[in-house]
Amino acid sequence: MTSERMVDWVDRAAVCLVHNAARRTPEPLSERLAEEWLADLAARRSGFSRLRLAVGCYWATYSIARERRVAVVAAASSRLAHSNIATFTGENSTVFSTRTATFLLVVSLHAAVLCGLAVGVSSKFIKLTPTRFEIHRIDQAPPPVDLPPVAKPDLNAIRVDPQKPVDNLTFEQDPLPRSGDLMDTPRDAEGGTGTLTPPPVVINRVQGGPGIGFPSAHDFYPASAIRRGEQGIATVRACVDGSGRLTSNPTIVQSAGSSRLDDGALTLAIAGSGHYRATTENGKPVNSCYAFRIRFDLRN
Amino acid sequence: MGKEDREVRMSLQTLKVLEAFLENPTDQLSGAEVHQRCKIASGTLYPILLRLEAAGWFVSRWESINPSSAGRPRRRLYRLTPTGLKRASEVFASFNRGVLA
Repeated sequence: MTSERMVDWVDRAAVCLVHNAARRTPEPLSERLAEEWLADLAARRSGFSRLRLAVGCYWATYSIARERRVAVVAAASSRLAHSNIATFTGENSTVFSTRTATFLLVVSLHAAVLCGLAVGVSSKFIKLTPTRFEIHRIDQAPPPVDLPPVAKPDLNAIRVDPQKPVDNLTFEQDPLPRSGDLMDTPRDAEGGTGTLTPPPVVINRVQGGPGIGFPSAHDFYPASAIRRGEQGIATVRACVDGSGRLTSNPTIVQSAGSSRLDDGALTLAIAGSGHYRATTENGKPVNSCYAFRIRFDLRN
Repeated sequence: MGKEDREVRMSLQTLKVLEAFLENPTDQLSGAEVHQRCKIASGTLYPILLRLEAAGWFVSRWESINPSSAGRPRRRLYRLTPTGLKRASEVFASFNRGVLA
């Protein structure tokens, strides 16, 4: 919950409390107090100050109603008037009526949940149904790297005429295109003979996968699947960029046997965007696609 | 509320409210302004204001503004009545006598 929504909620709760409090006061005062308290509410700066004022107004209604009852009862001279007022006061004399107690209970519960969300303890104390969630990375062989074909010069075909100066080396027509890099190698420049093997191209590729901060299991086990006791393993294919964000929508490679679990796996894969570990080539993150398994398990 | 001159049960909070009004007896203060001066919780403040008004020590009226042009709702303003001023002064005078005696 964002702070703006929190403030908005607090403001609405304060206004609602003030209206309820004003309604609890005797009839001649209720409209006046509602307007007066709402005006004073608007004068408060912070949301919690307004909420405190509203709670105070609610509390004030007990004193106001009690004093009003005392005044009215004292002013009543006839027995009929006294009985009418006693009836009136009897309706409002309960300090904590069922309605009030329920209202306070609901407000307390909401406040507790909001506080819990605000301080981030929900994941520690709120345990859903026993679910277990595991992610198994599939170590697939890296896809073949498309490299340009390297021409292999047939250096054995070079013939050197000992009668001629070295400068006049002649080469037979090479059927294959010659790599310029190889021509510039020192050994070639020295005019030596022998077989020259091109330097091997080594790419150290480390496959990516779900990384640090990837969403937790508790949040994505579909409730409908839990109720049905469904469990299984879904294999999801995700394409991510170098920063670990999805570049396209993930797809189900192998179903978990339930559309609900598959949906949960896809939702999890999408929610994890930005928390994937990118595939690296020689230490540099690159775009890649890979599959990983998501296990929905009801054990434990 | 009645305007008769009645006894008012004195408490520390009531004295604080009276003191706020006695600083300038002609001032008209809203509940929010009294709260700022006295730092009394609203649950205590409003019953005191109503009690003093019922006893005839205060009178109240709505602020004469146009809420739409002012951009805020009108406030209820309280001020001391001559009776309230006299009685409040007596209360504080009696306290001073008690302290000095």
